[in-house]
Amino acid sequence: MLNTEKIRADFNVLNQKGVSAPVYLDSACMSLKPNNVIKAMNDYYFNFPACAGRSSHKLGDKVTNKVKEARELVQKFINAKSENEIIFTRNTTEGLNLLVNSLDFKKGDIVLISDKEHNSNLVPWLVLRDKIGVEVKIISANEDGTFNLENFSKLISGVKLVSIVHTSNLDGYTNPAKEIIEIAHKNGALVCLDAAQSIPHRKIDVQDLDVDFLSFSGHKMLGPTGTGVFYGKKELLEKLAPFLVGGDTVEFSTYDSYKMLPVPEKFEAGLQDYAGIIGLGEAVKYLSQFDWSDIREHELKLNAYITTELKKIKNIKIIGPEDPKLRSGIVNFYIDGTDMHKFAIMLDEVANISIRSGQHCVHSWFKGKGIHNSARVSLYLYNTMADAEAFINNLNKVLKVF
Amino acid sequence: MPCLLALIVFGIMGIFSASHRALAKEAFSCIFRRVTLRPCNTGFQEKIKGKILSKLLARSIFLAKMVNKHYEILSWIFFILMVGSTVWVGRGIYNFYVYGSCNGLNASGFCAFDPSGENNKVTGIGDDSSCGITPKTEESLDLLGVDLSTFPKINNNSKDEVVFIGCYACDYSRKAYPDIEKLIENKNANFTFAHYPAKGDTTFLANIGYCVYKDYPDKYWDFNNYLFTTEKDFVLNKSNADKILTKFNFDVKKVNACANSTETKKVVENQVKELNKTNLYGTPTIFINDKAFVGPKPYRVYRSAINKFIFF
Repeated sequence: MLNTEKIRADFNVLNQKGVSAPVYLDSACMSLKPNNVIKAMNDYYFNFPACAGRSSHKLGDKVTNKVKEARELVQKFINAKSENEIIFTRNTTEGLNLLVNSLDFKKGDIVLISDKEHNSNLVPWLVLRDKIGVEVKIISANEDGTFNLENFSKLISGVKLVSIVHTSNLDGYTNPAKEIIEIAHKNGALVCLDAAQSIPHRKIDVQDLDVDFLSFSGHKMLGPTGTGVFYGKKELLEKLAPFLVGGDTVEFSTYDSYKMLPVPEKFEAGLQDYAGIIGLGEAVKYLSQFDWSDIREHELKLNAYITTELKKIKNIKIIGPEDPKLRSGIVNFYIDGTDMHKFAIMLDEVANISIRSGQHCVHSWFKGKGIHNSARVSLYLYNTMADAEAFINNLNKVLKVF
Repeated sequence: MPCLLALIVFGIMGIFSASHRALAKEAFSCIFRRVTLRPCNTGFQEKIKGKILSKLLARSIFLAKMVNKHYEILSWIFFILMVGSTVWVGRGIYNFYVYGSCNGLNASGFCAFDPSGENNKVTGIGDDSSCGITPKTEESLDLLGVDLSTFPKINNNSKDEVVFIGCYACDYSRKAYPDIEKLIENKNANFTFAHYPAKGDTTFLANIGYCVYKDYPDKYWDFNNYLFTTEKDFVLNKSNADKILTKFNFDVKKVNACANSTETKKVVENQVKELNKTNLYGTPTIFINDKAFVGPKPYRVYRSAINKFIFF
């Protein structure tokens, strides 16, 4: 069981003197940062702000070691076979774009995605379709938002790559990745998982999943903004053409030739965000101290309470499965014909409650369903039952106005 | 409508603040989409509404509910009020520029640009005359039927006529006179000076002035300027009159004889009677063409009247 009081003490934003702590319910967009992450980043800038992998002085060596340490931490965190399978990126979107632009796609190749993809796993494929003529197929979810394995099985034949969201930022539902990957592999397709929303909330074991590629962001898992990881099986990464090239991606170059470095360096062009990478390593360390089942149980308890209370309110509809157990730490709701921005604004103004409103970068789904927008509550390990109650009480207060 | 209202408000506030400039841009984007027959998709309207309702909700749920229910109508009302107040402020600025008072020509009442009412202060005429009173009523001031032929005049063959009715003893006349002199010099208007004994015993100076103008018309305007610009107590002291006349090399005996003559006294009395026909209620009263300005106005006001900048 999580000791939320102890956890909250680790987050400066929740303990500022003279300022009432925000009721922060927008972790699906951006998680808060524990003090150890901030301290580690400051430590870099204060004490050893040098280059990694290039300079042979002591400061450079220290950065090189810290980056290596962070890579190893991430490797262990997702149980990758080798640290060389970990490529540092700026975020999930960059990782997905790396794949889109590096895999040897040809005209007519089929890419399969779901109907609940974030723009970062939709738009790059549509751009590729327009650029070289790949075919982008969409798997429709069941009415309640759960994954339709039957549909998937029908569409998988001839597919080159399945690129699919693991846990949806729209409804919190986690797609059955293991089954999807198994079916895909049987049909000769590669699988890439968008793990931006799953990695902060559940154990990801890339070897157990047997996933080919996986992309996630640091900022949703207590890490710094502008950090992310793209994982790929080593043998597949070696076949990928580099996406961005330049400094630190080549072993040598002449005026008319070059020799690329092995993975992961060939994908990490230019000077990296060392402070961010070190901070990400600290975030991994911080998260690793908890039992995933405790995090899940905690989020479920809060989600169940909010779901039960929202169901009591007339006209409110929850996006995704009714059962909170299937929605991780997300409760996304709307009222037909109502712009939900005003609720988010009013909760913030009235009670300092931060929730997200809008289409959550899943415009395609909202357009398809004819829903204007929604308000999303997303929970994490630092939220308390008091937060959930404050949300419900103030939402009821705000609703009295309408 | 709320977007239009927000655009105007934030547009004005945006002159001073970058954060409001961003809101003004958002409001503009919203309006642009609406006028191009597309829905406003910026969420701006809801953002503003949410912020307003939140403030009201903190005070009363009922109030917030009512505002929400009649939000569009209230927005229209506020918009109309804002347009009205903007026009009103514009009118006030215009009035202040051309009349020296936000409230119009010679109108008293509070004006933010002239909070102490300096531009409207006059020396009241009659028994309770004293410098610095602010007139409570506005009379209809007119030169129609007033005989100004006996007053000192500069004829510049101009279409513009300026008549200055002032008193040597009044601070506000003394304040306005140099500006009128400057105006005549710059604009070459025809100018008539009329002394009105609004305060204290200044008739002796009017008598002397009448005689000086009669006998020394070329030197009269320097003499008159001296009376307005020299220390008031010195000028108003009868025992100094001869010194002043001597200073200008006038024939003191001759001027005094003229000033004390029955004929001069009668003329000056008649002059006051003629000036009373204008319905003046204080000095200085300055007629510039068909407009009468009561009190010492800023120079730009007189210039505007000559330049025909007054449209209303």
